Amino acid sequence: MKKLKFYLRIYFKILSQDIKSRMSYRSDFIISMIGMVFTNVVEIAAFYITFLNFPSVCGWTYYEMLFLYGFSLIALTPMQCLFENNWNLSRNVHRGDFIKYCFRPINIFFYYFSEIFDIKGLGQLAIGIGTLIFAWNKLQLPVSLIIILELLIALIVASLFFIGIMNFTAAVSFFLVNTGFLIGTMSKFRDYAKYPVTIFSKGFRFIFTFIIPIAFIAYYPSLVIMRPNEIPVLTWLAPVFGVVFFYLSYKFWMLGARKYSGTGT
Amino acid sequence: MNRTLKQFRRFNPRAYLSLMRSAVMENMQFRMSVLVMLFGNMVYLVVIYNLWKAIYASVDTPVVNGMTFSDTMIYLVLASAQFAFMEAYLVWEMGRGVQDGSIIVQLIKPMSYGTYQLFYILGGNLFYFIVTFIPTFVIVEIITGWVIPVGVNLLYYLISVIFGMMINFAVDYFVGTICLYTQSIWGINIMKQILVTFLSGATVPLAFFPEILYRIVMFLPFHAIYNTPLTLLIHNDLPVAQVGHMLFTQFVWVLVVFVLAKVFWKVSERVITVNGG
Repeated sequence: MKKLKFYLRIYFKILSQDIKSRMSYRSDFIISMIGMVFTNVVEIAAFYITFLNFPSVCGWTYYEMLFLYGFSLIALTPMQCLFENNWNLSRNVHRGDFIKYCFRPINIFFYYFSEIFDIKGLGQLAIGIGTLIFAWNKLQLPVSLIIILELLIALIVASLFFIGIMNFTAAVSFFLVNTGFLIGTMSKFRDYAKYPVTIFSKGFRFIFTFIIPIAFIAYYPSLVIMRPNEIPVLTWLAPVFGVVFFYLSYKFWMLGARKYSGTGT
Repeated sequence: MNRTLKQFRRFNPRAYLSLMRSAVMENMQFRMSVLVMLFGNMVYLVVIYNLWKAIYASVDTPVVNGMTFSDTMIYLVLASAQFAFMEAYLVWEMGRGVQDGSIIVQLIKPMSYGTYQLFYILGGNLFYFIVTFIPTFVIVEIITGWVIPVGVNLLYYLISVIFGMMINFAVDYFVGTICLYTQSIWGINIMKQILVTFLSGATVPLAFFPEILYRIVMFLPFHAIYNTPLTLLIHNDLPVAQVGHMLFTQFVWVLVVFVLAKVFWKVSERVITVNGG
């Protein structure tokens, strides 16, 4: 408990430094924020145009698809905001800058990610929440304290999966040189998370569930709220899977970090 | 400026060719990243295949807005292959150059910055055209049983895609110039990318757009980047007059965006501030 308090205090100290330095580039901050919101609005417009011509897909109505979309946007936010530094890992390792994280008496994983907080992710969060509420309203889903609680748990679990995927991908750069492009390719998979996994053939359904688990970013957890009468076993298992998956990704990341010995300069 | 430099400034095809060659060589260094990119592209294709199959399965008619399932698929597959070879990340390049000051190295070269980037990027485009677009095209042809005719439409496509590449370059150049003022890359680049792919019909085929939006999009230069070349490639029953009209429109757009980008750059060149060094 004491340790947790200690880490929390350090976290906010490091974080405030990052936010201060970001704020000194005010126009960059504002433009990035606009860019984030703009991107999501255009993507929703593209989504709308596609489904304008089609009433439903695989038994999923337009608003149900929109619900998944909003859900996935929210679930992707923690990665965007808190674990943004994964994107720089390959470069840091390659250039040797990573060595500085190895010399602190605190957890490397913690220190590395506390260094950057991506504020523009909050723009995405706002759009996600807006979309989710809109779809929720249109679908006339019930609202109660328990359902809100379920939603929160579902969202946390979903984001653990995405953070885990990105941790695994980024940590590859500890073992192979110059694999920065991997993370770009992998992060594209999040775009597929917003579709119900039932549209895929069996083989891909398996891959997207058990190998690159993007089906857990929106589809399985959101069934709890959207279709409470037909929840599959995988949804119930999702919290366990999520925690285990995240833990494994953490262990893999740390394995690489401990192995790291700098570039010799 | 001494005389040799001045001579160099005059049209010198060897300089341009060697620039293009160096871009090709540089890209060949990153074979692994090309492979992963191809793999990522394959997964993308599988996803959109499944998605559109499910979409078409949920309506009773096989034709929606004049597009059958295979029309839509061929269009989207080729659009993504075209994106893969065209996207040159020039906005990133220019923004980075301003941020870390490396742009200065290119500014003092005996070739204008724009020309330098144009030929460098064309080299990269050529490389990715050969390693991504041609294989994708052949695979599509084999899978669909040669649905896309092989004839004069390939020639139209080649002309049109070169125009498309140039419009894409000029748009990038224009947007990259904005970075000289804002010194912000990520936001500018992401907005440009999403806007160009959306308005050019690379994400959703333009045939699906609602009437009003379709008309607006047709007034903008972006449709000439993806929609025009792909239309010329896929449909071989277009009358020659229409083909000529489409190519001419594209050509006019090339001129317009090039002039705009050039003027904007000229005006902005003076504001470049490079810190330290």
